[in-house]
Amino acid sequence: MKTKIILALLTAGVLCAGQSALAHHPFAAEYDAEKPVTLTGTLSRMEWVNPHSWIYIDVKQPDGTVQKWTIESSGPGAMSRRGLKKTDFVAGMSLVVKGYAGRLKPAIAIGTVGGPNDGADKQ
Amino acid sequence: MKRFRHCLVVAAVLLVAASVYAGCSTPAPAEAPAAAADPPFQPIATVREVMNSVIDPSIDEVWNSVQTVVDDKGMTDHAPVTDEQWAEVRRHALVVGEAANLLLMHDRPVAHPGEPSLAPGVELPPEEIRSLIDRNPDAWSSYVLQLQDSMKLALAAIDKKDTQALFDAGEQIDTTCENCHSVFWYPNAGGPTPTAAASAR
Repeated sequence: MKTKIILALLTAGVLCAGQSALAHHPFAAEYDAEKPVTLTGTLSRMEWVNPHSWIYIDVKQPDGTVQKWTIESSGPGAMSRRGLKKTDFVAGMSLVVKGYAGRLKPAIAIGTVGGPNDGADKQ
Repeated sequence: MKRFRHCLVVAAVLLVAASVYAGCSTPAPAEAPAAAADPPFQPIATVREVMNSVIDPSIDEVWNSVQTVVDDKGMTDHAPVTDEQWAEVRRHALVVGEAANLLLMHDRPVAHPGEPSLAPGVELPPEEIRSLIDRNPDAWSSYVLQLQDSMKLALAAIDKKDTQALFDAGEQIDTTCENCHSVFWYPNAGGPTPTAAASAR
């Protein structure tokens, strides 16, 4: 758990987080349910803050370059109820992210962090 | 003579008491003073402008005042420490709490004439939002009051300099915002409630 957290960006969770996105625009205004993404990378930064946490990961591309992704995630309260703690996140840790890409900007996705309480670590 | 004087005193007391009683039970004048009329409110900003120019910037300051950042330096907790910092976040909380009253002014338009939805196809156009509010004024007022109640929690936490309570109030504020927006701004967006979604697998 300390070294790897699977970010399960399920549709339900995505809708949850998306509806409370920037300026409280709904999910569909900023993210595309037709653009699922699966990202494997390393955590560079995490902001545990209301109303939504933000997760930043570096994703290595096939050509060797690194693409920096920004993930809008659930609020700290929701993550805590899923069994996650802010201390679970450490810069440099490996992450697997599943989510939906943004409509307006590249390398942005949305989702919520799967935790032990919802079985995300069994994926 | 002494008895007569005593009777006079008793009579005087009774007379005064009767007068007082009569005064208390006297019906109100036929024309009661008119209640003070509300001052003539003059909305300058639209609801959208109040949200974007007043509420959003200030609530962001409240939310961001307590957070944890994890990066290559490790984990860093941020929260108000000095009296000045607590006073600053309190000012922002007050702005949001009082700005909510602006949302209760019925003549305030949602947006300027001709302004479109900010997310066409997802967020309702302003005239439809206005129509929803006008058809459900009690619900609208209730959400506004809920926002103020959640801001009271934040203010109480600030006054106690209770970082965790302020952080917890932040989630309630967000929930209140989201509940209202999902009813009046994007009722057709679908999706589960935040609580259901958070526990969904």
